Amino acid sequence: MKSLVCITGATGGLGRAFCVECANRGWDLFLTDLADNSLSILAASLTNTYNVNVYYRSCDLTNFEARTELFDYLREQGFCFNFLINIAGLDFEGPFSERTRSQIRTMLRLNIEATVEMTHEIMKMRDISRTFRVINVASLAAYYPMPVKAMYASSKRFLLDFSRALREELRSFDVSVTALCPAGMPTTPECIRAIEAQGFAGRITTQNVGYVAAHTIDSALKGRSVYIPGLLNKLLKAAGSLVPPTIVARVVGSRWKSAQSKRALLGSVNGNPQ
Amino acid sequence: MKEKVIIITGASSGIGLATAKELSCKGLYIIGIGRSLERCAQAEQEIRALNPDAKVQFLIANLASLEEVSKLAEDIREQLAQDGLKHIDVLINNAGTVSSWYISTVDGFELQFAVNHLAQFRLTYELLPLLKQSDEGTVISVSSGSHYRTKIHWKDVMLRKRYNCLLAYKQTKLANVLFMSELNRRLKSAGIKIKAFAVDPGLVNTNIGLKGTGGIVKKVWEIRSKSGTPADQPAHCITWLATEPDARKTDKIYWKDCSPLNPSRYSQRLDVAERFWELSERMSGIRYEGRMTSWIPS
Ligand SMILES: NC(=O)c1ccc[n+]([C@@H]2O[C@H](COP(=O)([O-])OP(=O)(O)OC[C@H]3O[C@@H](n4cnc5c(N)ncnc54)[C@H](OP(=O)(O)O)[C@@H]3O)[C@@H](O)[C@H]2O)c1
Repeated sequence: MKSLVCITGATGGLGRAFCVECANRGWDLFLTDLADNSLSILAASLTNTYNVNVYYRSCDLTNFEARTELFDYLREQGFCFNFLINIAGLDFEGPFSERTRSQIRTMLRLNIEATVEMTHEIMKMRDISRTFRVINVASLAAYYPMPVKAMYASSKRFLLDFSRALREELRSFDVSVTALCPAGMPTTPECIRAIEAQGFAGRITTQNVGYVAAHTIDSALKGRSVYIPGLLNKLLKAAGSLVPPTIVARVVGSRWKSAQSKRALLGSVNGNPQ
Repeated sequence: MKEKVIIITGASSGIGLATAKELSCKGLYIIGIGRSLERCAQAEQEIRALNPDAKVQFLIANLASLEEVSKLAEDIREQLAQDGLKHIDVLINNAGTVSSWYISTVDGFELQFAVNHLAQFRLTYELLPLLKQSDEGTVISVSSGSHYRTKIHWKDVMLRKRYNCLLAYKQTKLANVLFMSELNRRLKSAGIKIKAFAVDPGLVNTNIGLKGTGGIVKKVWEIRSKSGTPADQPAHCITWLATEPDARKTDKIYWKDCSPLNPSRYSQRLDVAERFWELSERMSGIRYEGRMTSWIPS
């Protein structure tokens, strides 16, 4: 059996784009996400279109027991892996004070705990005859302290630092770790409204998911440490590291507030594209 | 006489709705398809306002999902059975969408490719047995003049790496012509009487360019669409192809304003049509072969 590419968050907008990209390269896949039904639809379509083997199992990655079951299952199946793409992650819109304790826990568990554990466990099942590659989906938000997205941005910062450190630590073990740091991506009607609300600035920092997936895989194959899609986003990141974090936080905060009020307006008039 | 049964996708607005109105006023039995319950209810009301005796039903499906397309076919069969009908005379594949962004559907396909092409390909396959039960089975695809001067991007059909709204749209409209041409050839060689046509509506004043777009694309459409014809005009051509016996006598595929036109030369290449057909079969997980027999199980 060929070794597999493991993709979490496979049935989301970015996840699907990564699945297609990998399948198009002829790679066999193991997919996971919350809903079994969406996984089976996607798996069937990938198999039909690209003639690859696609395995899947649903799992609530925020749940410790569910993760344990998933890892047991993967071992039982005797799967081995040469690539792990950690896409599962989430954000709750709105101010910190309005979050519930359960939302806080869910986000930290998914964005941080699940990603770290997946990396830990899947690496144990690696195909030792090949380079093992990991892609962690962070965000451009990892470069700035972001008011109103405080938890999200810092969870992504965690992933960025984790990826960079791990990459150094495992370099001699033929493991490469790449962090993807995209700006907004138009995956859902909600994201599209958010991008539209930022107007021109939103649109030019936005990259299509198909493009992002293809170029991220290329970057990972080249062993790059970080991939930021789009030239402008690279510049934004550079600006973020030149200006003191307190100032960045203030600028981001005020921009966010104006976008938020515009978005409330747009939300009611825009048609849903999907 | 057998009731004339027409299926129209995207009948909740624009060209599809105008076509449903005209056909309904001729007293035909119509099933309209839309994605939004609200807009479909509104469309049904508009049709009934024109023709209080309209025999019209709406069914809801998001054509971006192949599973929903096949479920839709099931719903259509059920609806027909309820009304004691076992055939379809005309299938009008009209639903279409434009998207500024690369959106990946539940099946992993690019949205425009899925809605504008794969949904047509799959729905036609699903409904073929019912179309065969008609003496005048007709499939009409609402294509566009934008199918000229473009080709299939074989290496990256869904344009994942170089997505551009217009490029993607043009390719799907070319797909419509390729599909109808190849379908016609295959039906003919199987000895099946169904006819396939592609319609070029011209520039029409509808909201298609405002729905899934933003920025420049949206602004351009706001201005450009105003100089378009009202939707009744292409609706009239579609109605004519759907109901006029003379239309069935020709071998012409591509129609605009009730006259045949030459589609692009690329769209008439047999090798391209065949290769694209096979790709479409793979992507939509079906094989037409088994349904391409003239024999009809009773
Ligand atoms: N307007 C033009 O100038 C022009 C020119 C050449 C060709 N065409 C073609 O003509 C056809 C009709 O376009 P139109 O101008 O009449 O546009 P329209 O007014 O936007 O109508 C499109 C129809 O398709 C439906 N639809 C879109 N996405 C769907 C989905 N995912 N699932 C189910 N239904 C969906 C729409 O539903 P909603 O009502 O819910 O939006 C609507 O009923 C399209 O195939 C288009 O490519 C138009």
